[in-house]
Amino acid sequence: MAMDVEILDDPKHHRYVLNMGPQHPSTHGVLRVLLELEGEYAMELLPVLGYGHRCHEKIAEHKPAKSFMPNTARMDYLGALIYNHGFAQLLERATGIEVPERAEYIRVITSELNRIQSHLLWYGAYLLDLGAFTPIMYAFDDREHILDILEDVTGSRLTYCYFRVGGVSKDIDDKFVTSTRAFIDRLRSRFPMYEGLVNGNVILQKRLIDVGELDPKICSRYGITGPLLRGAGVGYDLRKSEPYSIYDRFDFEVPTETKGDCMASFLVRFREMEQSLRIIEQALDSLPEGPVMAAKVPKKLKIPAGDYNSSVEAPRGELSYYLVSDGTDVPYRLKVRTPSYSNLSVIPEMCQGMLLSDVVSAMGALDLVIPEIDR
Amino acid sequence: MDIKAVKTGWKKLAKAIEDVDYAVFGYDYSVSLEQSNVRDFATMMLDNGFYLVDLMAVHVAPSIEVVYQYAHVETRCRVMARAFVDSNNEIATISDIYQGANWHERETRDFHGVVFTDHPYLEPIILAEEDVDLKPLLKTEAALKDVDVVRRKQPEPKVETAAAKSQEPS
Repeated sequence: MAMDVEILDDPKHHRYVLNMGPQHPSTHGVLRVLLELEGEYAMELLPVLGYGHRCHEKIAEHKPAKSFMPNTARMDYLGALIYNHGFAQLLERATGIEVPERAEYIRVITSELNRIQSHLLWYGAYLLDLGAFTPIMYAFDDREHILDILEDVTGSRLTYCYFRVGGVSKDIDDKFVTSTRAFIDRLRSRFPMYEGLVNGNVILQKRLIDVGELDPKICSRYGITGPLLRGAGVGYDLRKSEPYSIYDRFDFEVPTETKGDCMASFLVRFREMEQSLRIIEQALDSLPEGPVMAAKVPKKLKIPAGDYNSSVEAPRGELSYYLVSDGTDVPYRLKVRTPSYSNLSVIPEMCQGMLLSDVVSAMGALDLVIPEIDR
Repeated sequence: MDIKAVKTGWKKLAKAIEDVDYAVFGYDYSVSLEQSNVRDFATMMLDNGFYLVDLMAVHVAPSIEVVYQYAHVETRCRVMARAFVDSNNEIATISDIYQGANWHERETRDFHGVVFTDHPYLEPIILAEEDVDLKPLLKTEAALKDVDVVRRKQPEPKVETAAAKSQEPS
């Protein structure tokens, strides 16, 4: 967005501070942004964080690593299974526990369902931010199906704690497979409707195109990952770049755009849902029989001394767990690198000189989940 | 990216470079730096197209270690660079090289009290303003471990002993 502000004689005289949040609907949680405005243009932005800090990293240092699993789900409530996945993988790597084939497939299927669910919520909520009320009804209608499917197998609707070190807690049944297949068909049939109703809408395009442009250079300076980076033209997806679990067995694409504006990340997220459906479909087709838990997982899981890392592709970008172990079963230090934290830090640079209404567009494009920022 | 050329560059700055088994540890290289070199190293990484994944501190004896995690978008190359802070708990900021480090450094100051010199705005970010001296992730004296305790153990070199030989079937 070009800065075409008419600077009046004394610009400082016309500036005022506006407080957005922590209860503002378009900050999607307890985030506060201090805006220094000149007219309707945001000249300086200062995000204020930490309202929802729950000391997850401190908690991790005080109990056996295995029992940290429920905490992972409470950081990103929209990508709980993917957070489960990263943490389970971290401990499996460190202790050399082999995960059975079937469990890996179940992990991929449920993780991808979780990702679609997250994107659908973002889709509805983002459009709601931009003033379109109807799409969230459609998006939540579809999302509800995923929540029902996952509730049947995991027992919860949002903060899943389904993965275990060495597998998953419960096997999936035929009902899960049939309802997931039915959901794939359903969502596919809805995509043309979404495209017609929303993506081609001229008001939406005016709100998103050329707003909040990011280029690959700024992304690497800030550590921006996920759909924002892919929208800027870099096809970086950890499922492809550092294939973990069994993602290298599936045929899927990494959608990219080139412009890096809000429309680019919007389209990337939208297309990612189709790619997730493709992964789920292939995984269901080749789902092997067998156990879903490793035969021997010690009750007291001692982690050999050293430092370990596990990075996975969360719906918003790269999630990394970094664990330092002193050889006991309790982590000496656990650091969680959450994607939204790095993504949000670009806001002061990205939104400088923007119209206030465009700031809302740009912040929505970051797809923020505040609890994962505050941890 | 030419990893050989990049590694040659590291050698000029690093105290030690270690190849790490990705399958077990989840990253590729461990680079130990003098704290005076962290800025040069960051500049070099930015020039080679790396992005800053994370920046964090680990409290060990004798002093706090700051760990920088870098990764590359084209090829898998995940690097943990580490440096100890000085006796005043200070280390130079890299937030003018990698702007993303700004918040990570503020968070590290919150949790461990590490002072990043020349940081533009080193104020509490995750913790509340009144908890500026809380430093919740510093270890108590009883819990503090020596740095060697948390380092990975190198596999013992195989030594041919008389006892091992006698166990072999003849």
